[in-house]
Amino acid sequence: MNFLGRKAWVLMVALVVALPFLELLVPREYRVADMFRPIFIFAILGLGLNIVTGYTGLLNLGVAAFMAIGAYSFAILSCEIYPFQLGFWISLLGSLIIAGGAGLLIGLPTLRVHGDYLAIVTMGFGEIVQDVLKNLEGITKGTQGINPLPAPVFLGYTFTAENYVPWYYLFLAILALVVMLSRNLERSRIGRNWIAIREDELAACCMGINTPRAKLLAFAAGAGLCGLAGALWAGYLGSSGEPGNYDFTVSVMALCIVIVGGMGNIAGVLLGAVVMIGFNSVLLVRISDFMARHGLSSTTNVFSQPNNWKYLIFGLALVLMMRFRPEGLLPSSQVKLELHHKDE
Amino acid sequence: MLRVEGITVKFGGLTAANRVEFQVRPGEIFSVIGPNGAGKTTVFNAITGIYPPCEGRICFLDKEPKAKLTWRAVTGFLLVGLLSGFFVLLGINAENIWYEAITSKYQYQQSFDWSQSAQSFLSYITQSSAASTRYPFLGGVLLGVLGAFTVWSRGRISPDIVTRTGIARTFQNIRLFKGMSVIENVLVGMERRLKSSLLTAIFRLPSFQNEERAARQKALEILDLMGLKECADRQAGELAYGDQRRLEIARALASDPKLILLDEPAAGMNPSESVELMELIRKIRDRGLAVVLIEHHMNLVMEVSDRIVVLDYGNKIAEGTPVEIKANQRVVEAYLGKGE
Repeated sequence: MNFLGRKAWVLMVALVVALPFLELLVPREYRVADMFRPIFIFAILGLGLNIVTGYTGLLNLGVAAFMAIGAYSFAILSCEIYPFQLGFWISLLGSLIIAGGAGLLIGLPTLRVHGDYLAIVTMGFGEIVQDVLKNLEGITKGTQGINPLPAPVFLGYTFTAENYVPWYYLFLAILALVVMLSRNLERSRIGRNWIAIREDELAACCMGINTPRAKLLAFAAGAGLCGLAGALWAGYLGSSGEPGNYDFTVSVMALCIVIVGGMGNIAGVLLGAVVMIGFNSVLLVRISDFMARHGLSSTTNVFSQPNNWKYLIFGLALVLMMRFRPEGLLPSSQVKLELHHKDE
Repeated sequence: MLRVEGITVKFGGLTAANRVEFQVRPGEIFSVIGPNGAGKTTVFNAITGIYPPCEGRICFLDKEPKAKLTWRAVTGFLLVGLLSGFFVLLGINAENIWYEAITSKYQYQQSFDWSQSAQSFLSYITQSSAASTRYPFLGGVLLGVLGAFTVWSRGRISPDIVTRTGIARTFQNIRLFKGMSVIENVLVGMERRLKSSLLTAIFRLPSFQNEERAARQKALEILDLMGLKECADRQAGELAYGDQRRLEIARALASDPKLILLDEPAAGMNPSESVELMELIRKIRDRGLAVVLIEHHMNLVMEVSDRIVVLDYGNKIAEGTPVEIKANQRVVEAYLGKGE
């Protein structure tokens, strides 16, 4: 990682660790809890996608499906209305493994599909998973979602919904773990093989890399992390949520995080999560609140609500981004070089 | 060492290589020459498994370099079969199975008997109509096994398997991993020797670290041989053209091959660079490797090769020592055209 990357990394850690103390400074109605949760969840999601899209270069638009699989398997493994009741931690691990298995499963038939075609297949997979979860009412309770889910117990302390600080640290610890895992993979034989496949698949194959196996591994690892994100989300909410929560917009959001932040770079993905989710779930909500309180928006005039402008702003930001900085805010040096080679 | 036995490669109606055959002996420098479009690179691609030949075969160390039908592969097919059978079963009546196995046996907050659940599941499978359970399951298994076998057998000859048997190659149009550093390129080339698994890599266990350290050491040695040690941490795409060519050779050497195929290694080099390159090729040969060379610089080829094969329009027109080739009438015709 270059110097700038490391600096940004340190800054990010400092920011993240400092966040609970903001509560002392920021008035209570700003709800720090609502800010950290989506950012952390999407950071994990982004890191999962980063393995598939950032390192290996396989465009995956079905991230939400793996998240849903993670959330639902977590719910089924832990909820009292099912006989499994494995508790929070084991269910978390279980959902990671199940989602990873689902990644393998979707990876197997799509091994020979590249680029846009793979994107379409994974997108279809995302829609199928949603519909399956909706229609298997006997198992998944359809659109009701599965609840209540047990709270984690750590060293005798039971997490509660009211006190978000332990949750904050739980999320932070898991995010840190995921970052460590990604980083170690990136700098190992496995990560090198992934990057080699992204750069030149034929040459990679001629170097003796079993490309199907490497791609499957990337799919499984990425899907596992996305499943973990889904399970955490469900664990915090105490409910799997309804299948419609895991729709295409979630996948696109994860992709935006990876692209805006910088493909193939962990610090970039974290920054991407802060920027994108900070805008989407924090800033926009604040602006709406502010405008509503001061009578600047009305419920009848759709144009006056910032939320309705969201995708317009997103789209514009992405277009500008692609024009002026296609490698993302904090790109990995490799991707940067790749994109600039294409310019020539 | 390497026997190319009458291979034919066709692209649609075009026959790019027609019953080409030659043998490479251990420790020799063997050149493949011919006018543009003669099928030299096609032969390389056939040897390395990129385009498996339509006819004929490649033998390396008296074996065909292709995946073997091991017990592991067979278990894999069966596993895929079982899995797909199970999914077909689920696809048809997931909810009923779930009801029989789980819902009907579980009362809220009461203990749950797993053996009873398993029994209930089995009795559902065996007692409900075969058309809704057993046939789809068996069909799924069959489909899965056949599918897995077909995919496997079509991918039996593939570049990674060929590389693993000990044949390495470079490319005519440089195909380095441009964004990766020079040493990483070599490390990727070492894939054949590295064994660390996912878990040891994730947790950076000692075995992983030792392997990684040894690999880096080895990579630096190879770079040193090719005179690239100083730029080990630079990005491969930034290197000068001649250095990139040499890095490709270094990357190929990293897999510790017994045979190395060099596709126009001197293309785009100036005369002094290509003389150095030829020295390098001799050095590689002296390490005990056999070298197969495609090259257009005739004086270099004639100087360095032990034996030469000449291709024209996909056909082999001559084979022999440089002296014999120079005197061969058909070769002169192929290069200069027939005299009126």
